[in-house]
Amino acid sequence: MIKSWTFGRRLATGFGLAVLILLVIAVVAYRTTDSLIANDALVNHTYQVRTDLADLLSELEGAETGVRGYVITGSDSYLEPYQATLGQIKTTFADVQKLTVDNPNHQRRLATLSPLIDSKLAITKQTIDLRRTQGFDAAAKVVDSTEGKILMDQIRALIAEADHEEADLLVRRDEGATASAQATMAIILYGGLAGIVLIAMIGWFITRSLSTQIGAAVGQVQSSSSELQAAANQQATGAKEQATAMSEITTTISELLATSRQIAESAQRVAQIADQTAGAARAGHGTVDTTKESISGIRQQVDQIVAHMLGLGKKSQEIGAVLDIVLELAEQTNILAINATIEAAGAGEAGKRFAVVADEIRKLADRVGGSAKEIRTLIDDVRSAVNTTVMATETGSKAVDAGSRQFGDVAIAFQQISGLVSTTTEASREIELSTKQQTTAVEQVNVAIANVAQASRETETSSAQTLQTASQLAGLSKELLRMITPQVAA
Amino acid sequence: MSDIRAGLSSRAAELRHAFDRTFAEPRRTDTPSTEDFLAIRVESEPYAVRLSEIAGLFVDKRITRVPGRVATLLGIAGFRGTIVPVYDLCTLLGYPATEAPRWLVMASAKPVAFMFDAFEGHFRISREGIVPQEADERPRSYVREFVRAEDHIRPIVHLDSVLDAIGKQADEAPL
Repeated sequence: MIKSWTFGRRLATGFGLAVLILLVIAVVAYRTTDSLIANDALVNHTYQVRTDLADLLSELEGAETGVRGYVITGSDSYLEPYQATLGQIKTTFADVQKLTVDNPNHQRRLATLSPLIDSKLAITKQTIDLRRTQGFDAAAKVVDSTEGKILMDQIRALIAEADHEEADLLVRRDEGATASAQATMAIILYGGLAGIVLIAMIGWFITRSLSTQIGAAVGQVQSSSSELQAAANQQATGAKEQATAMSEITTTISELLATSRQIAESAQRVAQIADQTAGAARAGHGTVDTTKESISGIRQQVDQIVAHMLGLGKKSQEIGAVLDIVLELAEQTNILAINATIEAAGAGEAGKRFAVVADEIRKLADRVGGSAKEIRTLIDDVRSAVNTTVMATETGSKAVDAGSRQFGDVAIAFQQISGLVSTTTEASREIELSTKQQTTAVEQVNVAIANVAQASRETETSSAQTLQTASQLAGLSKELLRMITPQVAA
Repeated sequence: MSDIRAGLSSRAAELRHAFDRTFAEPRRTDTPSTEDFLAIRVESEPYAVRLSEIAGLFVDKRITRVPGRVATLLGIAGFRGTIVPVYDLCTLLGYPATEAPRWLVMASAKPVAFMFDAFEGHFRISREGIVPQEADERPRSYVREFVRAEDHIRPIVHLDSVLDAIGKQADEAPL
């Protein structure tokens, strides 16, 4: 149950018990001391009463002695003690009466003593008056009488009786004071010892309890401090790395910002170029229409070329046919010339002149044949070229057809391109706008990253401080543990 | 194109000049130091035939096949009202038979015609250009001399010996 108590409750309970013990000791000691003081007061009171009684007797005797001196000498100087004590006697008597007001024996005795004192003083006054008025003898007579002595003896007896009673009281009160003092000493001694023992036990118990619990807590604090120190160390390292990373990020963001600005400028240029491209695409669209018409014209021209080439081939064939005839004629002329030469050789002298002519005819036929063969070669080349041209032209015509179709596709594609260029222009403008916004955002990010970098540096600094604080805390907890449980700390 | 036209024009002018020159030159005297030949081609081989050994040159003559055991005899054909036998000069010279040679010459010594593959032209050459066959040279059938014409050295077909051989074959061949 006590283990579940708080430190305050334990300390309050411990100190409460100690206070209770001290309170008991203090009350008892107070009471005994009070009793001791009361006894002491009573003793003092007794001493005061006895002193006043002695003073009263002394004053009476002084007054009597002064009067006797005056009587003997007649000098007034002897009356000075009498006159000095005359008022004092009453005062002293009143003090005694006042001091012994609680004692009926003394009051009764004082009641008896008072007339005796008055009588004695009256006698004394009478003596003085007699000495002054009647001289020594009258006064000596009074002194010599026993009346005064009797009074004085009675007074002495009463004062002695009162003193004796006070002495008895003094003895009793002294014994009571001694008993009170012993009781007080015993209470102070044994109560103090008991209180010391109890407080020591309570202190030992509280110390042990708190030391155990605080020691465990301090141990935990020390462990936590070590963990906190390690964590702070890691945090400091992490903060440093974070600061380094943030610095790199800042650099990267700066580069990104520069790149974003370049992209924004490029996007702006792209938008301008896209505008120009859109204009060029519109112009190109017109050019495509014009080219389409031109291609139709080319196709017609190609058809005409094919027709003309076919006609040329046909004419070449006809030329070839005519040339075959010419060749045939040349060949036959040659044969005839040779045969004529042969015949002329057989005709004797008359045939020689004919042979010359025949020879010339043969040569001419040879030349004609050679020329015809050359022409034939040329015609063949022309026909071959015409055929090649026709085929090429037909191929070209087909190519023109295909080109025309492809150009149609190209025109459609160009139209699509024109539309896409318009879309691209819009997209470029949007990209330009977005890029500007992105640049602004990157600038904001740059500022934010700079702030974060500053925060990281501050975090690094605070982490170092935290680490230092954790180290100090670990040291303090160790010191505290050493203070609580040295053997554990050692 | 203009170059070709200019070349043809100069060629025509040259022909015209040569033709005119024949009428301007004086009458030539006999030139026995030259000899005329026909340049022919037998089985793509160049040969030459003396013009003095033939009676005429013909082309695309219709040959009528006749039955017989002489392999070289292609048939008969009519020449100026005369029916003459036509022999294949290609097989006579030892080459394999070819299809339908167009040209033929008729020998002057006998009425016999010889068909050959191609007629390449007529040329006249001095007698110094005719060389006899060397003894150590590979012997050719019916060839005794050679003539250099243009770029070729042509063997001269000796038609008289051919005719003799045909005559011998005709005599030896049974009817």
